[in-house]
Amino acid sequence: MHITMVKKRKLDGTDCRKCNQATEQLASRGLSDRINEIIWAVEGDPESPGMKLGEQHGVELAPFFLVRDDQGETQVYTSVMRLIKERLGAQVSSHEEASNVDPDDIGGI
Amino acid sequence: MALNLQNLEAVAKENAAKDPSDIIRLALTEYSNLAISFSGAEDVVLVDMAHKIGGDFRVFSLDTGRLHPETYRLLDKVREHYKIDVEVFFPAPGAVEDLVKSKGLFSFRRDGHKECCGIRKVEPLTRALKPLDAWITGQRKDQSPGTRAEVPVVQNDATFGSPDSPLIKFNPLANWTSQQVWDYIRQNEVPYNELHDQGFISIGCEPCTRPVGPGEHERAGRWWWEEATQKECGLHSGNLREAS
Repeated sequence: MHITMVKKRKLDGTDCRKCNQATEQLASRGLSDRINEIIWAVEGDPESPGMKLGEQHGVELAPFFLVRDDQGETQVYTSVMRLIKERLGAQVSSHEEASNVDPDDIGGI
Repeated sequence: MALNLQNLEAVAKENAAKDPSDIIRLALTEYSNLAISFSGAEDVVLVDMAHKIGGDFRVFSLDTGRLHPETYRLLDKVREHYKIDVEVFFPAPGAVEDLVKSKGLFSFRRDGHKECCGIRKVEPLTRALKPLDAWITGQRKDQSPGTRAEVPVVQNDATFGSPDSPLIKFNPLANWTSQQVWDYIRQNEVPYNELHDQGFISIGCEPCTRPVGPGEHERAGRWWWEEATQKECGLHSGNLREAS
């Protein structure tokens, strides 16, 4: 299994808020080294590799994760908590899972 | 074209220019285990359209415990007007009690809105969506140039669905403007939230919603104390234009 994390770098050079949160959530569980590759979506540069991956996979927000399994199938995860629970085998409470979703991203409710 | 996970993008493109009623009809035809989400705001038009299409349809809403009285009144008005049940989902009492005990009633002003929203809104929404195969939302592209610029009329809901239990999300109003929504509400005498007459556009919980001023975007009326740039982690060109 190969896990790629796509993060967004803002115009001021810092990572976006959700990328920071996801990075912390992985680190606090000792899972940082399970991320094999980090690809950057650079604000202001639609040609940056992360921006192109977002477009390719229809993902609108950073961060997101591409998980390629041993059969070569790639699965997209937009929630770090879901990735942690389903692919990294760590415990996630329903409270943590819910708090990781920004209602502004859900839309419609 | 019949819907499946593999052809969603093509179906979305094929139906992008269709009337929202046609999208709702498609959703109701393709999925029996489906519900309309109703936030107590302009998305009431979805209920009206589904009612006009006829047949059975489910409507659910979330009562965060912090809604405006006007929103509660609309929920009941909709129930009576369309003679339908509105399934209302509430937050888990223990989680709310723990949050309020440890952080008070306005922690979102200090810590940001995600923790409170996670308890009062996202967790109940997760419960509401769990048994469903599809849901219908009132999401529109023009609601936020930052996060909603690319909303298709139908998509795989990667947030609440999973590879083992996929969830399809229909956004029939994706390509409508606020003006079109309001033209529909007026022309069809659809019951609406009284707050809209007081300058509110986007309506959520009472402490986190305010009327917007002239020239302000509607999402400026939500969580306004948090910097807009902090809210946006968008990856698309609309966001780039907005941010640059």
